[in-house]
Amino acid sequence: MAKSLFEEKLNSGKFIVTTEVGPQKGTDTSEMVHQINLLKDKVDAINITDHQSSVMRFPSLGGCLLVAELCGEPILQMTTRDRNRLALQADLLFAYSRGIKNVLCLTGDSIEVGDHKEAKSVFDLDSVQLIRMIRTMESGKDIAGGCLKGNVEFCIGATAHPSADFIEPQLIKFDKKVESGAQFIQTQGIFDLDALSRFMQYAHQFNVKILAGIILLASDRMATYMNNNVPGITVPPNIIEELACVEKDKGLKKGIEIAVRLIKTIKEENLCHGVHIMAVGREKLVPEILEEAGIMT
Amino acid sequence: MIVAEQKSMEEIYRICSPYEKILILGCGTCVTVCDAGGEKEVSIIHSVLDAAQARTGDKPHIFSEYTVKRQCDIEFLEALKDKAGEIDAILSLGCGIGVQSLAEVFPDIPILPGVNTAFMGASREWGVWDERCVACGDCRLVDTGGICPITRCAKGILNGPCAGAKGGKCEANKEMDCAWVLIYQHLVHLGHLERMRQYYPPRNFHTILRPRRLIIKTEINPGGK
Amino acid sequence: MTKNPSYDHTIIPPCQAECPLHMDIREYVDLIAQGRVMEALQIIREGNPFPSICAYVCTHPCEDACRRGQVDNPIAIRALKKFAVKFGGDKMIRLEAETTHDEKVAIVGSGPAGLAAAYYLRKLGYPVSIFEAHSELGGMLRVGIPEYRLPREVLDIEVQRLIQMGAEIRTNSPVTSLNLLFDMKYKAIFVTVGAHQGLRLGIEGEESAGVVDGATFLREVNLGLKPPVGNRVGIVGGGNVAIDAARTSLRLGSREVKILYRRSREEMPADPNEIEQAIEEGVEILFLMAPIKIQSVNGQLDITCIRMEQEEPDASGRRRPAPVPGSEFHITLDDLITAIGQAPQVPKDFRLRIGRGSTIRVDPLTLTTNQKGIFAGGDAVTGPASVIQALATGKLAASRIDDYLRHRYPAISKEKRASMGDLLPRTIEMIRKFNRYEPPIRPSQERVKEFMPVELVYDWEGAVNEAKRCLHCGIGAEILSRDNCAACLTCLRICPYLAPFLDDRGEIQIAEDQCIACGICVTECPANAIAFRKPQEQRRVDEELEHVIESAAKSKSKPLIIGFCCQYGLYGTGALAGLWRETKAGIWIVPVLCIAKVESRHIVNAFKAGAEGVFIAGCDQQQCPRENTAFWTLQRMERSKKMLAQIGIEPERVQAFNLHASDKNLAEALDRFTQKIGELCLVSAFKKEMKK
Ligand SMILES: Cc1cc2nc3c(=O)[nH]c(=O)nc-3n(C[C@H](O)[C@H](O)[C@H](O)COP(=O)(O)OP(=O)(O)OC[C@H]3O[C@@H](n4cnc5c(N)ncnc54)[C@H](O)[C@@H]3O)c2cc1C
Ligand code: SF4
Repeated sequence: MAKSLFEEKLNSGKFIVTTEVGPQKGTDTSEMVHQINLLKDKVDAINITDHQSSVMRFPSLGGCLLVAELCGEPILQMTTRDRNRLALQADLLFAYSRGIKNVLCLTGDSIEVGDHKEAKSVFDLDSVQLIRMIRTMESGKDIAGGCLKGNVEFCIGATAHPSADFIEPQLIKFDKKVESGAQFIQTQGIFDLDALSRFMQYAHQFNVKILAGIILLASDRMATYMNNNVPGITVPPNIIEELACVEKDKGLKKGIEIAVRLIKTIKEENLCHGVHIMAVGREKLVPEILEEAGIMT
Repeated sequence: MIVAEQKSMEEIYRICSPYEKILILGCGTCVTVCDAGGEKEVSIIHSVLDAAQARTGDKPHIFSEYTVKRQCDIEFLEALKDKAGEIDAILSLGCGIGVQSLAEVFPDIPILPGVNTAFMGASREWGVWDERCVACGDCRLVDTGGICPITRCAKGILNGPCAGAKGGKCEANKEMDCAWVLIYQHLVHLGHLERMRQYYPPRNFHTILRPRRLIIKTEINPGGK
Repeated sequence: MTKNPSYDHTIIPPCQAECPLHMDIREYVDLIAQGRVMEALQIIREGNPFPSICAYVCTHPCEDACRRGQVDNPIAIRALKKFAVKFGGDKMIRLEAETTHDEKVAIVGSGPAGLAAAYYLRKLGYPVSIFEAHSELGGMLRVGIPEYRLPREVLDIEVQRLIQMGAEIRTNSPVTSLNLLFDMKYKAIFVTVGAHQGLRLGIEGEESAGVVDGATFLREVNLGLKPPVGNRVGIVGGGNVAIDAARTSLRLGSREVKILYRRSREEMPADPNEIEQAIEEGVEILFLMAPIKIQSVNGQLDITCIRMEQEEPDASGRRRPAPVPGSEFHITLDDLITAIGQAPQVPKDFRLRIGRGSTIRVDPLTLTTNQKGIFAGGDAVTGPASVIQALATGKLAASRIDDYLRHRYPAISKEKRASMGDLLPRTIEMIRKFNRYEPPIRPSQERVKEFMPVELVYDWEGAVNEAKRCLHCGIGAEILSRDNCAACLTCLRICPYLAPFLDDRGEIQIAEDQCIACGICVTECPANAIAFRKPQEQRRVDEELEHVIESAAKSKSKPLIIGFCCQYGLYGTGALAGLWRETKAGIWIVPVLCIAKVESRHIVNAFKAGAEGVFIAGCDQQQCPRENTAFWTLQRMERSKKMLAQIGIEPERVQAFNLHASDKNLAEALDRFTQKIGELCLVSAFKKEMKK
């Protein structure tokens, strides 16, 4: 039996679509609720980010509970940046007990890029160790060897970076993640489909589902900003140029067009198993993008 | 080598201000090497403090200077014992270890730290130091091509790079190389990439339970029982 | 952790080691570079009895040894000495000596050896008489060296001083018997009769009228006998006498002057500069050529010459010339001067033991001859040599005679030789190249007309620029306090010349023969472990600053601005004084020998002493003869600015002039700076009021 609804979909062979919602700073969840409602039936699962870019927010776990309450399929993003192994295990136990059964294991952005620069970063574990830890818990033991009362089971995901400029060490890490038990991969933002194809040639040997990360760009300025400030994201010059060519207020339209084009090509050419759309604050546009890309769930 | 950085003169002057007779004490070892607290720095700081009080016209402090070979070993501090009667405070330009040794040897004298102890590292070129070791107590350099990810990776992760590096530079500090890119390159060079493919279990932080104490001597029971 | 300040680990540099008088050349060249000419002259006078003479004619073995020659060209030491003698006011110096002993000493011959012996014996307090065969004193200085190279006025002044010192002069007094002198109650005799007998070619026709030897020819000219010379003169030989005879002939009106030399130019022993000047003046030199026969035909000389060729170098590396058979040819001349060497002519009655080349045999360490109480030296002992060698033996003779008369066992000190290695190629590469500034010389057309000096004296700037090139061999940095040394390797990393190195025991050392005393490591060493081998180099800045602070306190000038200014070059030549006279505020200058010696501490201490502003001015990076000095000075300056800012002293109060690039109008820039300081003072006074 599948561990979660999402795992079932992953194994069904259909083209998978996920997207993400970032929690707000504060307790007013109305915006999040609105977005979840808008998206929950259009995608296969919704990721809730974990203090994205190291900026303190409402917790990922809280967001996932909301998704579950609203009858969506949540993916819990879990970084090792802020919690040591005790806290991580505890949160996982709690998540499972509340029906959250998908987890995306991440190392997390460094504290340095966020809004609490003076904080102590934890990194007690890294993403690979986190995956292993979950698998250990599934066997009925915490990682110190203590017995766990009751079941734990997760559909585990991880990330990969197909267009990294030093790809080989990334591939080694990818191997380790899959070996350790990652079932699906949501990649960093992809703009260069050749890089994706090359990555897929490699990834195909493994039993893991790859969801290509699609970032919605709103302008060339945003793209340049991301290049300079967001870890791991590199928008290639041809895309920036494409965005720069259009009139000022048409940037977003162009961004949508680019995202749609990427999704369409990926699907039509069957490049990988699905896409993961990161709308970076413009979640309400995701349905439009899906529609234009001809994807209906 | 321990690397330290001088505190700002403003802070130094401020922490000195409650005392009248202050000995500026240099250390002839690590902090000399990193230009933070050797004999030369002692005299510069002495001059600056004198200049500061000359200009403010505050109640005059009397600064004196001295440098010992190593502040961390209390035997070297013996030489200060005759001076101790005449001073109200010691401004130590030694690392945190030196400051604490002084506090132990001179329980009646306030010890003022004049430097911020920064890290253990090496000099890259004149005037530039890089951190190299965090004293994790569980050395894994054998597997990482002699490049410490715990120290030199911003996240101290053990199973390969995060996805944040760009152009081989770390996401946390664009000035610094991504440790994992370096490790990868060096292991390729050594023909030992399998070391990186290996899974590294979580670190054993028990080894750095604070405060640490290292004992190499064996307890010998007297009488041959 | 304190050092003993009374050390002195100075190493004798090659120039000093090679100088027969072992003069402290490095010191006086440095003083000239600072524009302190009187002090330079004082140092020169301490080491040399007749500096003005050496300044004109010395063969300067020092320059041949100068290590700057390995980089570009040696320091023009002799010309600098001439500058110091002239601008230091040597003419004015008066000397006196007291007679403290009864034993009279006789000196036979008044060449440089004799004069030097007389000088030092007078200083030691002995009554001295100089016996000279000629009517005037000076030996070859008077009758050999032509006037255009040594103005007689220069010689006269030195002789005059010797008379002032109480030496008794007996000219026109050829000595024929030494026993006679002992009969006259002289207790010791120094024989310095020189080498005046011209050597003969040994070819047919040498006795012909119109053939004369060089020494005789020059003597006649110098004694004012005006020997007749024809239009076409040939000179045989390749030494300085040959060149002097040739150039003298030109000055006497000969049109065609040819030198015949049997080897090639490389082997020519005459001073290259002199050869150059002779050619400029129109002397023709025929190399690889020798006369083999002289015939007098109708009052002209027909000279049969033969071409020579060089054989393969022999074991000593010298190529012997050999005649090319059948290559004879003829030249016609009016006069032929033979200048192939001279030998001493020692009267038989002296009964001295004579050795090779008719020279007097002496013990080289004591200068004693085979007869008790008789010493000998100079050309008479060595054969034709040089003035400086003659002076050195004269000096040695004086102390040996003193030993003898005082019944002391001669304290023979083993000559201290420097063991400084050559500069390594990598050191040479890093040393900034500055070509030698030659002193001006008079144009050749002008100079052949008369016997006026050919070489002129440097002007102030030329001398300072030339002196600045000195590499300061042997007074560089050393790790003085091993105990302080933290082995931080700062010196190793920052030395532009890579002089510091780790020895095979892993200890840091500074190669004394590669260090050129720029002082960067001395200032940068965080452990104060490095010092100059000459301690006074070190203390200078502190002492000067203290001095300035004291004087400024007395003068109470406001606002007080202290400037650390390089004393070399631009600033050394008195421009410094002009600079601050032009500005309005009370500027006090701390003279430093290269700004690289100014430490952060010095800057801060100036403020401590109440300065309102501090500036550093020196040569810009292009002019400074040392590498990276401006870079390090600016580093330290920025460092002190930062620290000063933290205690509320505005960084604008510290400024560098000229270090980044030359400031065109320094006085103006300085004015702006003082103005700025004035404004800052007002602002801070206002702030203080507000606080109250
Ligand atoms: C033309 C020429 C140019 C030279 N140029 C240079 C030069 O540029 N630089 C340099 O360094 N050297 C030069 N030299 C060499 C230098 O002049 C001599 O080496 C030096 O003068 C030797 O000094 P001295 O005291 O031994 O002998 P001299 O200078 O030769 O003095 C000997 C003196 O003894 C006197 N005398 C001899 N016999 C008696 C006696 N029986 N009784 C009393 N007096 C006597 C002689 O009249 C003479 O005055 C030159 C030599 C010549 C000939
Ligand atoms: S970029 Fe490299 S060094 Fe920096 S945190 Fe990531 S893996 Fe570590």
